Amino acid sequence: MNSPTFNAWKLVTLSPLPPWALVLLALGLALGVALAAWGVRREPSRGRRVLLWGLRAGAGVAALFFLLEPGIRHLQVARMKNRVAVLVDRSASMSFPAEVGGRSRSEEVAAFLERAAPRLAELQDRFTVEVYGFDPELAPATTDSLRTPARAGTTDLLAAVRAAAGAGQGSRKLSGVLLFSDGADNTELKSGVVGRARAALADLNVPVSTFTVGQETLKDVAVEGLKVDDFAFVRNSLTVEVEIHGRGFAGQDIPVVLSQEGKTVASKVVRMASADDVKPVAFTFTPDQTGRFVYTVTVPTFPGEAVADNNTRSFTLKVIRDRVRVLLVVGRPSWDERYLRGLLRQDANVDLVSFYILRTLSDDPGVVNDQRELSLIPFPMEEIFDTKLDTFDVVIFQNFGHSDPSLSIAEYERNLERYVHNGGAFVMIGGDSVLGEGRATMPTLMEALPVAAAGPASLDAFKPRLTPEGLRHPVTAIGMGAASTEAAWAELPPIPGANLTQARPGATVLMDHPHLTVGGKNAPLVAVWDYGRGRSLVMATDASWYWAFAAHKDGSPSRAYDRFWGNALRWLVRDPDLTTLKVTADPPSVEPGRPVGVVVQARMADYQPAQDAQVRVELVSVATQRPVAVQTGTTGADGVVRLEFEPPEPGPYKLLATAKKGETDLGNGEDAVAVRAVGPELSDASVRTELMAQLASVTGGKSYTLPRDDLPDVPLLDPPVVEVGRARDQPLWDRWYYLVALIALLGAEWFARRRFGYV
Amino acid sequence: MSARRLTRRNLLLGTAALAPLLSRRAQAFGEKNRFIPAVARHKGRWDTRLSGLRRITWELQRRTSVEVVPDARPFPLSSPDLFEYPFLYFGGEGEFPPLEDAEVANLRRYLTYGGFMLADANDASDGAGFDASFRREMARVLPQSPLMEVPAKHVVFKSFFLLDAAPGRLLNKPQLMGCNLGKRAAVLYSQNDLAGAWNRNETGDYEFDVSPGGEPQRELAVRLGINVCMYALCLDYKDDAVHLPLILNKRR
Repeated sequence: MNSPTFNAWKLVTLSPLPPWALVLLALGLALGVALAAWGVRREPSRGRRVLLWGLRAGAGVAALFFLLEPGIRHLQVARMKNRVAVLVDRSASMSFPAEVGGRSRSEEVAAFLERAAPRLAELQDRFTVEVYGFDPELAPATTDSLRTPARAGTTDLLAAVRAAAGAGQGSRKLSGVLLFSDGADNTELKSGVVGRARAALADLNVPVSTFTVGQETLKDVAVEGLKVDDFAFVRNSLTVEVEIHGRGFAGQDIPVVLSQEGKTVASKVVRMASADDVKPVAFTFTPDQTGRFVYTVTVPTFPGEAVADNNTRSFTLKVIRDRVRVLLVVGRPSWDERYLRGLLRQDANVDLVSFYILRTLSDDPGVVNDQRELSLIPFPMEEIFDTKLDTFDVVIFQNFGHSDPSLSIAEYERNLERYVHNGGAFVMIGGDSVLGEGRATMPTLMEALPVAAAGPASLDAFKPRLTPEGLRHPVTAIGMGAASTEAAWAELPPIPGANLTQARPGATVLMDHPHLTVGGKNAPLVAVWDYGRGRSLVMATDASWYWAFAAHKDGSPSRAYDRFWGNALRWLVRDPDLTTLKVTADPPSVEPGRPVGVVVQARMADYQPAQDAQVRVELVSVATQRPVAVQTGTTGADGVVRLEFEPPEPGPYKLLATAKKGETDLGNGEDAVAVRAVGPELSDASVRTELMAQLASVTGGKSYTLPRDDLPDVPLLDPPVVEVGRARDQPLWDRWYYLVALIALLGAEWFARRRFGYV
Repeated sequence: MSARRLTRRNLLLGTAALAPLLSRRAQAFGEKNRFIPAVARHKGRWDTRLSGLRRITWELQRRTSVEVVPDARPFPLSSPDLFEYPFLYFGGEGEFPPLEDAEVANLRRYLTYGGFMLADANDASDGAGFDASFRREMARVLPQSPLMEVPAKHVVFKSFFLLDAAPGRLLNKPQLMGCNLGKRAAVLYSQNDLAGAWNRNETGDYEFDVSPGGEPQRELAVRLGINVCMYALCLDYKDDAVHLPLILNKRR
């Protein structure tokens, strides 16, 4: 049997007695020594006293030696090799040049690690040196792999150090970390080594030595610190805040432009005060359309800039409405006005502002003092048709057409036409003052309407006819399905007369006159169209109130009037719920290199989910106005399908969707998506030497900067020693001479006591 | 009260007074969309103020931008044709028999779906005569909406003229009564014979004296009539937030 090889030992007690018994016996021995000393306390000779004390104490120690039964434990031990983690930042900012015109920060680290390879090899005697790249997941790396471009979208130094520490638990412990980075952390340590992040680093109990790579003297301007809400209210002002970070642009003016899908919304110029300056810029603007739009903040790319990709920053903004703000302008009080007002006033989603012409110049109220006796108020034309016009979602003219200079809107017609063209909604309700009747022709405003006046009004009562387009159109589809819609309209009473109009090319006639024709076509009663970015609707009669009141004459309640005008308002303001195809970018802002997702919800004309609908989505670049990719899919039972596009080039895109179920066209829809040129990583090319130094300080490491020639002596924890084999005990107490010594001591004391007269 | 004798001369003068209205009517766009008061034809004395109604529509045309047909069209309360005339005048002198169930149901539907009724005690009664009968029937028509006094700040007192009281031919009750359906006053009720102050005879002269205020009170009664018509047409327009501060400032 081979005896094992022991390479360590330690002194141990081999006594079988329990510790408490040993303690009691030791106390007894101590008492014996003390009593012996007490017995010779009157001995006048100090020498004798010391001799007797010494002999008794020696005997006590010898006795204790036998009680404890000391021995040597031979051990077979080994020293564990702990780990040293070399962590190299693989975030995209490491692709920035380490110095102007030089190699990248990653290449700088790779070069250093090659130079330090011998020193790292020396550490292999005591440590296992592991080299990782982190993005922020740890992945084994070599100097060759570190030379490839770094692409990670974030820098998370704390996560990387935690991952390195955690990887060794249960096996080899971590003795230290060598962290190579530019320090451009944009996650937990973004605000510095403070608070919980600081505590977490300290709790690791691992010295982290940092090696900062890169110089802070780069020339770069970046759009940073974007602050904007996810959504805004249409026709309400909104502020977008960004920070322009300029390095190397002291005293230079930098133009900053905010654009919406290629159209400039606002621009400003900032002046950089110092070589490394951050200037806040706030853009306040008023979105005038609902929907989702891509906005881009851009600064020019200057010669010699370190990074050009961080000169733009795109974001999507969903513009919604709070309440539909309606301006109702009434030519004179009438029953048509009364029922429309009643409807709009009871609708909680409508914020109604109305102005009625209660008195014209030809009216004589028969008062002495207009101000004191009449409740009439001025008609603030300039305010509502100029300064405040854009605050309204819908403008309704109800038989409003006056030629009196005090009431004529000739001066503001162009404003109204532009209002519609630029995204507003307008309704013209007929009567004896408009659409060819009366003297106010309003030619400019008429350009925005889907019909043109075509002759004198017809005063014959008639039942309007629903056109094929009207049967499906969300404005006139007041029933659940075509049959229900037709039945609902058929139940309504005839209306007494209509303006004679003719549809313009491009207009959609939803209802027309059953007999009256213009140019061979039935005269429109309700017509709609898109004018520019806005919408307009014409109701060529002032008798739609018959649908509200006279419809109840036979006793059966009718909601046709409410539904018609409710639908009309929703269509005019582009209520997303009125579309049969709802397109939603998922997510609306896409980080570089990520796929573009889109969710399409298809519904039938009766708004039931369209299962098995064939959906086609084009990804159209806003910059080139050309599709860059197409995806198709089939909806599930809920009428929903999610499609994904390969990561496109950065920039704003529109997602244009169409859908069909069999031969039935389900309409189209669109949404916007911003594919960002740079994530948070590339928007900041700065090197944070101070952060790296703080990190080293908190963990007990040291901080260094690259380039340097070789690896310095970095603080590393010593590896622990552990028993790896068997132990063997070798008794020491069972030697004969120990017993002789004890007997000799006791005998000598006895002899001395007799000699000195104590026994 | 006094009544003028109908002579051929008076008849010609009265007809001539309506001539301007007729000429404007000819330019109009659809008669049905103009203001034409319907008159409730019940089984009591319902037709004593028809000329007053024609007069108030004429005043409405003259003083405001509202287009009217100066007429008063009687209908049985059970008639579906009522639903082409959102303004209904319900007046009478003395008691009248209970309405038929069909009349009650039709009137309830009329008011519920947006019709407006001006009730007027032509006998200026209180607790008897027309007043008793009307209150009895209103309790059947709108049992959930009892007649209540219309507060002085109600929009009907500022819908065109700024008014403080509700006089008619008499001034027995300074304020109107009303039945509300939601926030809308579907019924306004005068116990001062409001239309009596408007009534004219065939010669164009006012038919009754006005007491106690005389002609100024008549003017106020006309203004109140116009305000009531304006309220029926414009509802609470003058209570809109954008107008109210200006109007309150005028009242100071």
